[in-house]
Amino acid sequence: MRKRTKQADGFAGTEAELVTMTSDLDQLHHDVGMPAMEAGVAEMIERMGDDAVPDRNSRRTFLVGAGAAAVGGAALLTVGAAPGLAAALTRSERSLTPTRAAMFPPANLKGDLAVAAVAASLENLAVYAYNAGLTAATAGKLGTVPPAVATFATTVKGQHTQHAAAWNGVLSAAGKQKVTVTNPTLTPTVQSDFAKVTDVSGLAQLALTLETIAAQTYQAETAKLKSSAAIGLSSSIQPVEMQHIAILYYVLGEYPGSQSSTGTPLAFNPTNQAA
Amino acid sequence: MTADPRALAELLEASQDQQADAMRPTRDALSELVEQSHEASVDDPEVNVVFHHEHRRSLAQSIGAAPMLGAAGGVALVGVLASAASAASSSDVQILQTAASIENLAVATYKTALTLPYIGGASANPVVTKFAQVTMGQHAQHADAFNAAAKQLGGKAQTKPDPAFVPVVNKAVKGLSGVSDAQGALGVVGLAMELENIAAETYVKDTVLAKSTTNKALFASVMGIEAQHVAVLLAVQALLKAGAPQDISLAPGTAATLPAAAGSVGFPNAFYKTNMAAPANQGALK
Repeated sequence: MRKRTKQADGFAGTEAELVTMTSDLDQLHHDVGMPAMEAGVAEMIERMGDDAVPDRNSRRTFLVGAGAAAVGGAALLTVGAAPGLAAALTRSERSLTPTRAAMFPPANLKGDLAVAAVAASLENLAVYAYNAGLTAATAGKLGTVPPAVATFATTVKGQHTQHAAAWNGVLSAAGKQKVTVTNPTLTPTVQSDFAKVTDVSGLAQLALTLETIAAQTYQAETAKLKSSAAIGLSSSIQPVEMQHIAILYYVLGEYPGSQSSTGTPLAFNPTNQAA
Repeated sequence: MTADPRALAELLEASQDQQADAMRPTRDALSELVEQSHEASVDDPEVNVVFHHEHRRSLAQSIGAAPMLGAAGGVALVGVLASAASAASSSDVQILQTAASIENLAVATYKTALTLPYIGGASANPVVTKFAQVTMGQHAQHADAFNAAAKQLGGKAQTKPDPAFVPVVNKAVKGLSGVSDAQGALGVVGLAMELENIAAETYVKDTVLAKSTTNKALFASVMGIEAQHVAVLLAVQALLKAGAPQDISLAPGTAATLPAAAGSVGFPNAFYKTNMAAPANQGALK
């Protein structure tokens, strides 16, 4: 490990340039990314209409719904959030009713819509976990939190919120209820794991697990979804989760890419951890 | 700061064995693919011609959408439109050959980059060097997998790089002559990033275009890997531009020294775009 010299001096410029760069990217995201997401998912809904979505005139409904969900990310999770997630929960969050696994996905959802429900629940779980992590970090329960890690968690939480909104937009457009609960199968494990998190490294490991499950689930669904538009949406999200994974590995000081349990980089992403 | 080169070297060696294991499911999948393709009759000439014409339209829409390499895809339009020869192969074969051509170009690009002192030489950051080595190996495996799939569908292996992008890459590499190490490293990272992004976007699109579910799965298993390459290169580029190459490190504790913005620079969009995707038959054999 090479010693850094004049660390403070180096940071002044670094931070300024990177903040500018991130600001530009954020602007680009809002200028290009969000409209593209809305248009893409709206197209998906229309194309799914033939075989999966009964209401084919619901494009406007979706656009309103997805936009509102994307903006109101916090509200997304206050309805069906999982119990616990350790001390990071607020009083209102602790009062919420857990979802029983036997009820999920709802029986009235079949095919691509059932996949949409599961995907939304996974995204909700990710949002919830990052939210809990940020809350715990703010409360000083994770020790010193590097600025880059805080930025990572905040940004990624926002992206997962948008993913959940996209899938819920599909459900809403089909006349189905939005999924506002965290994935009931995985929630107990995440709760248990989060309760053991005492530092940033532990939080990053938990995030890595969630991101890996999400990415592999989307990947596995690519060959199972019926609607090509649904495949397109799933495929537009999987690489983003994979990018989250790469940066998490980097933060953890490991090779920044898909890898085996022993840390060997993989050229083909597996699906053995798909939900 | 630098990474532990020994640990990375061990990773690299171990990857050979791991990749052999990882390829087994791919081989199984390829066998399944052949069976499915026979059932689906994807070699219907009429279907292939329709596919070809559909992608002439998408090709036209892609012109001018992107910087360096994206524009090259548009330049190639003239040549592609002038010939309908590629329509002779099934659409999946065309997609697979194009994918292989992109991978071949990526391998050649990293191979060239590794001959440069600031990427593969003494003045290079060891993490960047190892990343380039591992990534080059992964692209070679991707090319093999795409070609194996194409051959099992009755097509030929595409062993050449994507013809539309080659002149652009050559020009970019030539432009690195005489520049400083810092400028050179930035140039290579920028070029590699654009190539990786084209690959990722192409495969995202291919998961929809491919007829065979096994091919969809193959593209899906690769697209995220390319996206990860993009994320790493975005982070490296940002740190180089910010004059903080010492933060390109896998050493413990590096996260604590990273600037805040480094936590988000690797994933600029919540949904992966496809506007830079290569036309599906751009690298198909005539």
